[in-house]
Parts: sequence; structure tokens; C-alpha cells
Amino acid sequence: MIPQSSLTIVAPIQPSAEALAGLGVALGKLKLDPAGNHLVPFGDFERLHYARFVILDATTDPSNGQPVAASLALSCCFDGSADGFLRELVVGAAEGLRVIFSHSSEGPGQGDQALLAWLRRHQIPTQTFYVNTLGRTVSQIHQEAQLRDRIERFLDAAPRAAAGSATSALRQDIQEHVRSDEALAWARQPVAPFPLAWRLRDGLDRIGGIALGLLLGLLALPFLPIFLVLLRRSEIKAPHPRQDPNFRLSQFNRRHLAQDEDFTIQNQFSVLGFIKPGLFRYFTLRAILAVANFVVHHFFRSGDLGTVRLLNLYGVDTIHFASWIVVDGGRRVFFMSNYDFNLEDYMNDFINKVAWGLNLIFGHGSNYPRTDWMVLGGARDEQVYKAVLRKYQVRTQVWYCAYPDLSAITINRNAAIRAGLFADLDSAAEQAWLALL
Amino acid sequence: MNLELHDIQGIIARGYGKHPAAAYLLLHVAEPVAARRWLGALIDRIQTCEQRPDPAVPCFNIALTHPGLAALGLDPEALGTFPTELQEGMTEPQRSRALGDDGAAADPKGTPRHWAWGGTGHQQRPVHCLLMLFAVSPAELELAVEAMTGSLADGGLALISRLDTSLLADQAKDGGVREHFGFRDAISQPGIQGLHPQSGNLPQVPAGEFILGYTNAYGLITECPRVHRQRDPDGLLPPAEFGTHDLGRNGSYLVFRQLDQRVKAFWQFLDQASRDPDGSANPQRRLELAARLVGRWPGGAPLVESPEQDDPALATENSFSYQQSDPQGLRCPLGAHIRRSNPRDSLSPNPGSAASLAVNATHRLLRRGRTYGTPLSASFDPEEILRAADGEQRGLHFICINANITRQFEFVQRSWINNSQFNGLLDETDPLLGPRRLPSGRPTDQFTIQGCPVRQRISGLPSFVVVRGGAYFFLPGIAALRYLASLTP
Repeated sequence: MIPQSSLTIVAPIQPSAEALAGLGVALGKLKLDPAGNHLVPFGDFERLHYARFVILDATTDPSNGQPVAASLALSCCFDGSADGFLRELVVGAAEGLRVIFSHSSEGPGQGDQALLAWLRRHQIPTQTFYVNTLGRTVSQIHQEAQLRDRIERFLDAAPRAAAGSATSALRQDIQEHVRSDEALAWARQPVAPFPLAWRLRDGLDRIGGIALGLLLGLLALPFLPIFLVLLRRSEIKAPHPRQDPNFRLSQFNRRHLAQDEDFTIQNQFSVLGFIKPGLFRYFTLRAILAVANFVVHHFFRSGDLGTVRLLNLYGVDTIHFASWIVVDGGRRVFFMSNYDFNLEDYMNDFINKVAWGLNLIFGHGSNYPRTDWMVLGGARDEQVYKAVLRKYQVRTQVWYCAYPDLSAITINRNAAIRAGLFADLDSAAEQAWLALL
Repeated sequence: MNLELHDIQGIIARGYGKHPAAAYLLLHVAEPVAARRWLGALIDRIQTCEQRPDPAVPCFNIALTHPGLAALGLDPEALGTFPTELQEGMTEPQRSRALGDDGAAADPKGTPRHWAWGGTGHQQRPVHCLLMLFAVSPAELELAVEAMTGSLADGGLALISRLDTSLLADQAKDGGVREHFGFRDAISQPGIQGLHPQSGNLPQVPAGEFILGYTNAYGLITECPRVHRQRDPDGLLPPAEFGTHDLGRNGSYLVFRQLDQRVKAFWQFLDQASRDPDGSANPQRRLELAARLVGRWPGGAPLVESPEQDDPALATENSFSYQQSDPQGLRCPLGAHIRRSNPRDSLSPNPGSAASLAVNATHRLLRRGRTYGTPLSASFDPEEILRAADGEQRGLHFICINANITRQFEFVQRSWINNSQFNGLLDETDPLLGPRRLPSGRPTDQFTIQGCPVRQRISGLPSFVVVRGGAYFFLPGIAALRYLASLTP
């Protein structure tokens, strides 16, 4: 297993109509074939799970009237380290990246080294990064889908015989079939674990993080009443979209945004919104994003986001990768999600199950439906929440996914099939394994 | 909260079972002034939820599309307060893709370009109004339809199409009906709080899921279309927020899809898929396979209660759930039609719990459609169906009522019926209704029957249902109809 990372480059676009038009043309070429285009052929990068280009439009900060310049974001999720991936990207797509980023205010210079340095300069940190299943690589996902397909076809080829056999005999037949196929030789072994050094570092990080969290929590405890007073004042004072008739009925920009949706099992969205004005909201959000990053990395990294049985909380198992990034000098938050099925499913899922989690993070955004004590209310205002999401959604100009027709549940099931195929199972577990097919 | 029954159209409360003859007229508004006058004269005859339908007279209900509301003269500001899906209509291309009507995923004949009505073909007149007529006998219906069509010309309306229906009575002669494949239908309907008595142990659904102006399953009021109060000087409509008057109150939204059923192809496919190894037909296995696709036996008994054979005692059984007795789909396959279109307690969060049922309750539909065409076999005997000559069109005029088309009808269609990875399944959609390909081209024409020691999977399902027409309608309350009839340019 190899841990996943993300990389986001944000560069200002030259403030001219020509630059924006030229960029539009270049991105239009990519959009036609994100995997195989000649500029940035995302499909060539074997450890790349997701990539997207998004134009963050120029706008005005509503809290102070200051202009916010337009910029172009390139964001990727991949196996392994960001630095290594950035080098691969330069080797594999230098010319295309140069064409696309030539419309930036200060374009990348000549030569691969200059490009690499330029990209590094424009790289911005991800505050919170969610990975459905940490460690599972692109090639593992493809291989296990192929393995599942082979086994399913094997069963289809002799359905009556399969139905008549005993559980363990049938499983042995399947094992035999897989063993006989040299192309599936990799499946005879389980997935390699994380490297030892990584596991040690990760364990220390977990212990250290919990200790630090407890310490900071204790130190902050005396200030809790002040925090709650400030929070409640901010919640009551903030303009509430329910009081605005425009927010109540529309799916803003639906046609514009939906033109990119529902072609495959997976969908994506990019959301860009201002943080509520004032330092209180800014620092609270930064703290929550940091804690969330720690919590999802250590506790929600095997296929589920937000399930806490002890608290009777049920989470969401349809998110592949998601990133929260603070941009524009701390004024806006850029959120990207790669998820399964339709946007309506996504929104219903979160409203029905994890509204508290949405509220904790997005409740600090402008025009979010009113929260109570940070976790209550908010997204539970169903139609207003859905309108707000569409309102702040921006079009993703180019979206690449390495496995667009596989849902997270299917990927997890494929992994379970592979994990159990040659494992030592008792008869009940054997039956449970066959039920995965 | 008490429902204002006198203001709610009767089709929300009942399906008019005592009025077995019915026809639907699709109308186009040619002359708004005359059409408003015609509408005004009709209002007093529209059946509401308040009175029991009188068998001596026909029942009328009426619904309008968004272009129909515009044609009647509703102002643009008010038109803009309708939900996006009603404004855009059922055939907006991206919506068609999500609904499975799009060319890449759908049967080519079922794409909106080829629909008989409501489609995107050039010659089609836009559907503005749906008039539903119900009578006790075909003769009575004919009189009512004649009188109505006679009034259309003076009423500034053009008849686009008359859609006839024919109820297929169940052999049990207990008032039940079948659909053309031969299965008992209309068994499962949501019970509405305040309208229907509690029956069985399934929870009732809040009225706001089906009627605008009342609390919905989220404890909220679903957004209503509104008109500026200056546009309603006589106060025909109740006051609403933001200085507006409420055009939606006691109304709802009606989804209409004409679904042609390929009855012979359905049984032919099952006949082939269930043959013995020596190639001979196996009627028992054919019937079992059909029941697995549907989730009920032809007589109505649910598989989860009676997995081995049909059981007349369970013909109308509806108070079952899945998780307790059949979490793996060993009795009723996970992808069976009734388990997809109403998964009950099958899905997250925490299948089998009240929380799971509560989420399911946010995706319920009130079905009010009727079958059309003559059955291929009056007895619905598969042997007879397989021998019969199939030329004529037959199917279901699918009509459902819901307060939020996106969260209810569209969700069920897209996220359950059409979802090829629904509930852990892979590469299969609803065996009766689903498209057989993803928009990306990946085939979804399989059906899995979970079993011990391992599942069986049948492949190559053709389309058994083809959409022939459809539209989204607003089903106004009586006061809203009076307001629409009173509009002045």
C-alpha cells in the first residue's frame, strides 16, 4: 500500500479577455479527451487517481469591496509523494503545462527546471484531504476490478454447476481458475502493507496529534464560554439565505453545471465561496480544517466518512477523494469532491446522515443556511442547502478520473474479493466471501 | 394540521377505483382569453378530496405544464418561482440523460425525439394542459369526453391527443388490477398522514411529501410557487412570505410518462433464460424467474414473504421489510423491481432501522396511473402470451404525484431504478424499466439472483419498456385554479 497525496497549483490569470479566451481554448482541447489529449494526457500518469483544472473567476469580496483576481487551479490526487509526482508531471506534460500556464500573469520560463520551479512556487497547501481508502493505488483498483470480472465470468460460464457445488469446492474451483491465469499472478499474494517506516511515522503522528489536541483543548477550555458567546452572536448576526427569496427556489446555474454531470458512475464538483467576514470565523475554520485533516487521515480512512457507532452516527461511503483549500489570501475556500452517483444523491446523503459535519466546516461560509451551535440546523434546511451548494459551485473545466465507472462501494467490494480469495477462511466466512460476487 | 380537503384535487386522495373508465386529454392553449374562461367554468366540476366521488357523474382533475401556465398568462416573475425541474421540463437534455431517456443509454425508440407526445420532435405541439376524466362505464366516459372535446374549440384549446386507458381486472375479482406483464399492480402506496387511515405497521408519510403547504418528511414546508401580492388584488390566494401570495398551497406536481410494455419480448426472454439444459421450456422456472425480476409473484405475494410460490392470501401484502428476513437478497433479489423502486429498510443509514425507513420516506411516490391497450392474454397465461400475435401497443400511463419532483420521482428513477451500482450491485439496472447501457456505453443488461452457494446472473436483458411520451405538470389547488382563470393580461 502506498499513501495518497494531493497537489494543487493556483496561478493568477492575466487580467485580459485574450488570456481568458486563450485559456478557454487550451482547456477545451483537454476537455474533449482528458486521458489522451496531447497537452496534458492525464491517462499517461499511472499513479494519478484524479485531476482537474478549474478557473477561479475574478470577483469582489463582499465584506470589503476589494477585487479578487481570477486564477487557474490544477489539482491532482495520486499515489505517493507530491514532489515525485510534480517531477513526473513536468517530464510527461511540460509543453502542455507551458501552453496552459502561459496565460498566467507571470508565465513559467523556458526549460523543464524553470517550469518545475515555477510550479513549486505556485503550489498551495491543502488544509484537509480526505481519501476513501488510504493506501489503495490506481493499479490495485484496476487490477482488482479485472480480477472480479474474471471470476464473475468464470461463474457465468458454468452457472448450473456452480449452483450445485458445495461452498468450499466452488471456492477451490475459483482459486484454481485464478491460479491458472498468469495475468492474475499478482492476485495470489495479498496487498503489500504500508512500508514499516511510514507505519511508524504515522503511529507517532497519531499519538502526538492526540496528545497535542488534548493539551490544546485543555488550554482552550477556560476560553470556551467566550468562544460560545462569539459563535452564537455570529450565527444570529449573519445574513441567512432563508430570508432571501432568491435562495429559496432555484437550482442556480443548473444547466451550466449539469452539462458535465451524469455521464459516468462518478461525478465531481468544485465549490468556491467566501468565508464569513471577521477573524473569529477565519481562525475557527482554520482550526476545524486542521483537526478534520487529522481525524479523517487517522480515523476515516477505510471506506467510510463519518460513521461513529458509539454516537449512533452513520457516515457516507460514496466519496473517493475530497480537498479543502484556503485560497485568495484566506478569503475564500475552494472545495473539490469526487463522488459517486448524482449530485442529488450526494446532497441527500449528507443532509440525511452527516449534516453536522457539513455544518462544522461549511457553516463558516457566506450564505450557508443558519447553523445553531455550529453543528445543528444548517444543512438540515434541505432545499436552502441544496440551492446554496449550486450557487457556489463553479464549473470544473477539465476533470479526469482513472476509474470513472467504479463506485467506491464497488472498489471496496473488489478489494474484499481479492483479500479473501486465497485467505484461510472457515465455512461461514467462505459463504460470506462467495456472497461478495 | 388539518388538510384543506376542499382545495385539494381529488386525485391526490384517491385513484377513483369506482370509476373504472378513464381517459386523459392532452391540450394546447391556443387562445388564452377563451382558455381562462373555459377553465373558470370547469372549476366547480373538478373533484376535490372533500367529497366522495359520486358514481353518477364523471370526475375531472386538471394539471398544467410550465409552458401551459405561461400560455394562460401567468406573469414571468411567478413563473420563475416554480421548481427548476418544472421550468426546464422532462426533456431538457441533461435531465433526459439522468432519467435514462437519452440516446446513448436508452432504447432509440424511447428517446424524446421520437416520443408520441411531450417530446422534442419538430412537429409536436407543446403540451399545456392535462385533463383527466374518470367515469363508471365506457359509455359514460364517452359522453363526458364528447362533451368536453365539444367545448374545447370555444374554449381556445386544441386537443393534442386523447390517451385511453383500460383497467386490467385481477383474476381474484377483488377489485385489484394487473399490469400487462401479468403482475398484480398498485399494491404499495404511501399512506399519507391526515388523509389515509393507518394500515399495517409501516409508518405513514407526512402530507407535505405530496401536498404543498404542509410539513414534509424533513419537518419543513416544501417551497411553493408564489405571485406578487399586487398581481392578486382580489386576494384569491392565501398570503405567503416576502409580500407574495401562495400559488402552490394545496397543489402538487404530477409526473406523467407513457410506458409502452413489450409484453411478448418480456416472456420470450424469460422463456429462453429459464430453459433446461436440453433446450426444453421449463414453465415453472420461467415463472420463478419472472417473479425474481419483479419481487412479487404474478398474484401479488411478495417474495420476501413467500419465496417459493405464489400465495393468494398475500396478494395485497405490503407491510413487509427486507433487512430482518432477507438482508442478502436470497428471497427477493436486491435488484428486483420492487426492491429498487422502494427499498424500504434496505439502505443506509443502518439498514433495518427507523433511520433507514425515515430516509426511504423522503423518496416516496403516490402512483395514480392506469394501464392502456388490451392484454396479450386475458388470463395473463405466459403460454398464451408466447403464442399470441403482438402488434398493438399496450402499457402503462405512469402517473405519480409528489411535492418535490427532484427529490422524489427523479431520485427514484435515477438513483434507484437506473443506478447500475445500486445497493452493492454491478452492471445492472431495474430489470423492468432500467436502461441497458450507461451513457458511457458500458453495458448494464444483467440481473443477479443472489443465492447459495453463489449468485446466478442472467445477461442480455433487452428493453422491456419504452417511453412514448411524458411531461411534468403542476397540479394546482382549487384556489390556484380560480386565480389562473381570473388572470388579466
